[in-house]
Amino acid sequence: MSPERPCALAAMGIVNALGADADEMWPRLLAGDPSGLILDASLVPDRRLLVGAVRTPLPAIPAHLGRYACRNNALALAAIQQIEPAIRAIRARVGRGRVGIVAGTSTSGVADAEDAIRHHLATNQLAPSFDYAQLEFGGLGDFLAEYLDVGGPAYTLSTACSSGARALASARSLLALGVCDAVVAGASDSLCRLTTNGFSALQAVAEDVSNPCSANRKGLTLGEGAVMFLVTPEEHGVQLLGVGESCEAHHMSAPDPAGRGAEAAMRGAIDNAGVASTEIGYLNLHGTGTPLNDAMECEAVARVLGTGVACSSTKPLIGHTLGAAGAMEAGFCWLALSAGVSGGALPIPPHCWDGVRDTTLPPIRLTTPGEHVNFADRRLVMSNSFGFGGNNCSLVLGRSDAC
Amino acid sequence: MLTTRVRRWAAWAPACPDTAAWEAWATNPGPIGTDGHPDARFLPPMLRRRCTPLTRMMLTAAFSCCDEDERAEVRTVFASRHGSINDSIVLLEALVRGERISPAKFSHTVHNAQAGLFSIAAGNRQASSSLSARADTFGSAYLEALTHLDREPDRPVLLVVGDVPLDATFAPLVHEAVAGYALALLLTHHGEGEEIALAVGETTASSAHPPWPDAIEFLRWLLAREAALTLRGGRCAWSWTRAGARAA
Repeated sequence: MSPERPCALAAMGIVNALGADADEMWPRLLAGDPSGLILDASLVPDRRLLVGAVRTPLPAIPAHLGRYACRNNALALAAIQQIEPAIRAIRARVGRGRVGIVAGTSTSGVADAEDAIRHHLATNQLAPSFDYAQLEFGGLGDFLAEYLDVGGPAYTLSTACSSGARALASARSLLALGVCDAVVAGASDSLCRLTTNGFSALQAVAEDVSNPCSANRKGLTLGEGAVMFLVTPEEHGVQLLGVGESCEAHHMSAPDPAGRGAEAAMRGAIDNAGVASTEIGYLNLHGTGTPLNDAMECEAVARVLGTGVACSSTKPLIGHTLGAAGAMEAGFCWLALSAGVSGGALPIPPHCWDGVRDTTLPPIRLTTPGEHVNFADRRLVMSNSFGFGGNNCSLVLGRSDAC
Repeated sequence: MLTTRVRRWAAWAPACPDTAAWEAWATNPGPIGTDGHPDARFLPPMLRRRCTPLTRMMLTAAFSCCDEDERAEVRTVFASRHGSINDSIVLLEALVRGERISPAKFSHTVHNAQAGLFSIAAGNRQASSSLSARADTFGSAYLEALTHLDREPDRPVLLVVGDVPLDATFAPLVHEAVAGYALALLLTHHGEGEEIALAVGETTASSAHPPWPDAIEFLRWLLAREAALTLRGGRCAWSWTRAGARAA
């Protein structure tokens, strides 16, 4: 095994339904601002769907990278441009070949591919603006490598809703292996008719906003966005301390009701971080709002962390960003750890729901707006991501130095 | 240098359905075929019914590459350039025509569909990742497998790579060796199998491609007992050498 190498999440760029960057979206997220969700009538036939759509203008893909010009990559670009100076500085220091890319996505540019297919069915020709690099999963990682002009390994992980968490996990592994001295890792997912119609067909989409852990929960709310991190082997700042992974061996689109896979991922992350479960101060739940996910996740959380740890699902505020969700929610943990105020109290995103507990589930502690969590010494938080195909990934993030 | 051992391999392609066929092929390599898939009789009928040709090939290679104990305990890396994209294209065409899509078909279009079905069929609850990297897919997947091996060197990692020919609408946009295939490699740090080192370098060039995929070129190299192999996908130069060859 490689000697332990620290893994700092040195910089982060983010875009989602609540805003164009952290300064805009983070106060809204902490306040439980519901304005990120809008009604859309164009995605699913005969249905008005509440979605977390990004409404901020997105940057144009540079002309020389026109073959990658799709909305999914534009979202990624909006996030990457926020940390581009830091990336270019480290590239100058370590060399372009020592900077790698690990991206995550579940949609890639499938929305743009749908337009290309419509054009093809009508004319028997592919639209000249379309390139397969927009649709194939590897296109996102390749686009980032080309845009940033880095020469290290560049690949895209796609394990449905755990893709984004897994991208951070692999970035840490590439640093540990010594193949890279910096990795740009993150995820991007975009609203499209394939996922909205697919989840609707699975009867997994709520009529109203998702209502995680409630007795009245009816399903998820879909969203989109991107988050990108600069990952470096530095000892200071927010650290990715632990990764836990598991497979369900159960069903393609439903979790094991007992939550064994979720529990294994959470325990794995805590063990890998070398911390005690009692030290975790906040958990960002996968918390989709589907009956099955929340039931099994509450069971797993109660077994691993007990019922006293502050927990919230941020999906009712920005929607479930699917392939980006794991990195997005690690981004919220990063913002909490970066935004410390006096006395070691960290602001924690609220759990937005109707407040009606499902009495059949363990009573895990769900946060309210304005809540802070006190930490004694090192501040440790956790994020859960569980995907189709039974693919689970939990992350432990922490910070020991002063904010 | 990143070292590993190939404890075992298994592969399937229309022209090479078993080990003997691959060994013969490696002495006189040629096209490996584009259409067809294995029966995958080891899968329960309910599960097999849902399996696409790509899934049948990848699971056949994966199951053949592991004994029963290994099958449930290995960590896995699944890689495919195109994955289930042909099935996504069928769903997109249905949406364009205003039709409703099947929920089961939708849930099988995720890129980790083959990994998920392997987990179910093998009762495997271990870590698993699924990736894609355009023309660098095979090298990237091998590297990702090494990162898992590095994290826990005493436990093997199963790498499974495969593809089917891309949908005819999009195929003209991609320059690649067109083939249907799956290759599985059981990678370990210790024990049986020759030690192989991987070096990753920068490149902007692409290899002059033989008429079969990179993963199959790796298998040909392994079977032909040549000293070194370099594959260039366009982003990275992936160079493998045998330990014996390095010492010599």
